[in-house]
Amino acid sequence: MTNATGSTHSGPAADGVEACRIGASGVSRSFGPVRANADVSFAVRKGSVHALIGENGAGKSTLMRILYGLDFPDAGSVLIDGKAVVLAGPRDTIKRGIGLVQQELAIIDELTLLENLVLGEEPRRGVSIDWKRARADAKKLAESVGSRIDWSTPAGQAPIAIQQQVEILRLIYRGADVLILDEPTAVLAPAQASQLLRLLSTLRDAGRTIVFISHKLDEVIEIADDITVLRAGRTVASLRGGETSVQDLAELIMGDGAVIPARPTTRPPGQEILTVDRVSAVDDRGTQRLARISLTLHEGEIVGVAAVAGNGQEELAEVLIGLRKTNGGSTRLDGADITGHSVRRRRRAGIAYVSADRKHEGLALALPLTDNAIATPRLGSLGAHGWLSRRAVQERARAIFERASVRLGSPSDPASSLSGGNQQRVVIGREMIDNPRVVIASQPTRGVDIRGIGFIHELLRQARDEGAGILLFSEELDELRNLSDRIIVLQRGQIAGELPGGSSRSAIGDLMLSQTAALQTITGGAPFSDNDSSKGPRS
Amino acid sequence: MSTDRSIVPGLETAALRSEPFYRRHLPLIARVGVPVVISLLVGAVVLAASGFNPLSIYSMLGREAFGSLDRIDATLAATTPLIFTALAAAFAYRAGIFTVGVEGSFAFGGLSAAVVGTQVGGLPPVLAVSACLAAGLLAGALVALVPALLRAVWGVDEVVTTLMLNFIVSGVSGWLVQSYFLAEGQANSATGYVASAAELAPLNPPNQTNGGLLIALALVVVYAIWVKKSTLGFQFAMVGSAPRFAVAQGLRVRLVIITALVGAGAIGGIGGASHTLGIVHRYSEGFSATFGFTGIAIALLARFNPVGVVVGAILFGALNSAGSTVQLFVNIPIQLIDILQGTVMILAVAQFAVPRLLRNRRKRRGATVEPADIPQAAEKKLGDTE
Repeated sequence: MTNATGSTHSGPAADGVEACRIGASGVSRSFGPVRANADVSFAVRKGSVHALIGENGAGKSTLMRILYGLDFPDAGSVLIDGKAVVLAGPRDTIKRGIGLVQQELAIIDELTLLENLVLGEEPRRGVSIDWKRARADAKKLAESVGSRIDWSTPAGQAPIAIQQQVEILRLIYRGADVLILDEPTAVLAPAQASQLLRLLSTLRDAGRTIVFISHKLDEVIEIADDITVLRAGRTVASLRGGETSVQDLAELIMGDGAVIPARPTTRPPGQEILTVDRVSAVDDRGTQRLARISLTLHEGEIVGVAAVAGNGQEELAEVLIGLRKTNGGSTRLDGADITGHSVRRRRRAGIAYVSADRKHEGLALALPLTDNAIATPRLGSLGAHGWLSRRAVQERARAIFERASVRLGSPSDPASSLSGGNQQRVVIGREMIDNPRVVIASQPTRGVDIRGIGFIHELLRQARDEGAGILLFSEELDELRNLSDRIIVLQRGQIAGELPGGSSRSAIGDLMLSQTAALQTITGGAPFSDNDSSKGPRS
Repeated sequence: MSTDRSIVPGLETAALRSEPFYRRHLPLIARVGVPVVISLLVGAVVLAASGFNPLSIYSMLGREAFGSLDRIDATLAATTPLIFTALAAAFAYRAGIFTVGVEGSFAFGGLSAAVVGTQVGGLPPVLAVSACLAAGLLAGALVALVPALLRAVWGVDEVVTTLMLNFIVSGVSGWLVQSYFLAEGQANSATGYVASAAELAPLNPPNQTNGGLLIALALVVVYAIWVKKSTLGFQFAMVGSAPRFAVAQGLRVRLVIITALVGAGAIGGIGGASHTLGIVHRYSEGFSATFGFTGIAIALLARFNPVGVVVGAILFGALNSAGSTVQLFVNIPIQLIDILQGTVMILAVAQFAVPRLLRNRRKRRGATVEPADIPQAAEKKLGDTE
């Protein structure tokens, strides 16, 4: 088993023999204080499939944007054909034979698939487009990869898998021999995904080079010749596909730094407060994101929720505070049904909410700090007969700022005048001031400095010790391990399993990433009786 | 965390205060003044091209607007309905609701006041006027109720519904007058004159400025206090400037939306009633000289600032009163006033684009990805959540 502290890093073109078609040498890129890429090096052999894997925020997307010329490194350089180059932008990159398939496909729904294929590179005869030749080219192209496409279909009516194929073929039509694909299977059903993987290996066998970003480790093992693992912006390993396992990769992705002592409650959790019973919900696009999920939250416990992005955690948080409607199941607070209740009613009943989207949901950035602090359904108690009492308003705002140690100039300054960490303190202070029964805390320390993180954690622990039930959604595994009394892992809108608070990063990671994670309850705690729905979330 | 307890004033505020510099710091005068100056320049070009000396025409305009007590009175008379309509629009904008239905409320309020006004001859003046104003208020609010419910319950876009309703109101008013309230011996579609007890008396007879101006100013003052001090006014600002935040905080978003639209209709209705009682004393076709739409322009210039509403109304009132008399003396193109007003309106609307343009430029320059613009997503949520 590989030690995961970064010692396995081998430099670019480790073998030195095969030609490096595209790669990076010592690439660093920072956004403010965040180091998205730090001295990243890797080399993609010509004619290979190279997988780029890592946690959310490990720096994959930034690296991909740099490779495609959408962004530029602060230090280091992009390698093309083994030589350091400065890309002038996507146009230049395409000219060098490199194409990018993003998750948002660049397909125009109103045009046919054929028109999409040749758009911008139409074969011409005189001044008109030679559609006959275009059709012949398209047919040949599809056949060459063993695919059958009805080219006259309007793109908007074609299934997403076909749209994706057309996008790939378009790049090839334009002469790309290197394809960079950003989580191409994330939007596909399993059968379509394996079809795409076959397409990619066909392309590889025809000599093309493929850079493949994915969260799905079994896919990576299946198709990748080489694998580069990123963690916290650094390359922590470069491996051959045949020489590793899902287990090893998960550990490399998560790392397992110094074990942080978990601080579980000193007393056993009390009675059930919040009960989620077979709840289902769709996202804004109508995709089913929660599939008959059930969980319980007790007094005096922090339950961490871990999941790879897009597995229903955002929807769960929104459902619980009342921002998102459910299409099945029920929610109970202290035994009373609150399924259809508005945000206002839920908040009045003692549910507090820390939004992951601080800029838009957590704060009114353009308005004064005072206004941000007092904007809750309890507004009416700060005065009488529909009028606000200036004194009551100021007292409450001051109490909130003091409780959360907000560093501010004047309370009448707009919220945007504060740093991100201080903004979040305002949010946390506001949500905690009334000693809530339940706290839905979504990414409570995102963009917060280290000291702020410690402070916010302490406030959450205090609230727990005073009897609140806290549901903590976080992308930071260390945060989950450090704070949670137990951790539940979501996959495809269902609970994939539950772990005790101090579990190792790799244990959590395994559960987050495993495709086959059954409905296992690994430890004690509340059993999940009713998520045995046979329907998948995308049915 | 123990070292962290004190509130340190002044720290990291000045440097980080980057966001809407434009919106917060540019004084009202500049926001209103810049469009006015630019439109005067445009008008000067038009005048010069038509062979007039812009300076002499403008000084004539100035004299005709403010040159004597009588002229000032005429300007204020023209200002009065605009204060109502601009305040109505500003009231709704404060909550982020863009209503264009004030025109309809103004007309329907005016009609109702005229109808009631003909029936209250026996009452003491205070009661007669109050009854007419109340009728105007209710009529204006009634017109706005449908768009309000459509918006708050089903999220139907208020711009479309309020705009369309203007036409309906205009048709319904015409039909009501023709069928039920037509004054005898009138060829035109007009009601009879209101009883003298229901008239708003001129402040300085025989000039036209009347008690309606005082009502308008009183409403502005009430609005200014209400929006700052009341819980609902507070929530207006929240919903208007941070809709998703307001929803997530469980504020009374639906109530705010309904109040914004119905309230704007009510203010516009009072304005119509005041116009009936104070100036025209009856309702006839063409009752509103597009006061509702001019009010939108003023509200856009002023945002939701009460002082701005009054200043903007005086500005447009002056153009209206001076424009109509200057024609008598000089053969300037009649469209000059329209050009001036139109330019100011375009620039007023254009101001809304400036912060977005700045943001886009920042986005293009920096690689930091800002979350996409909120409004659409926010509106979708506003529709189905309280």
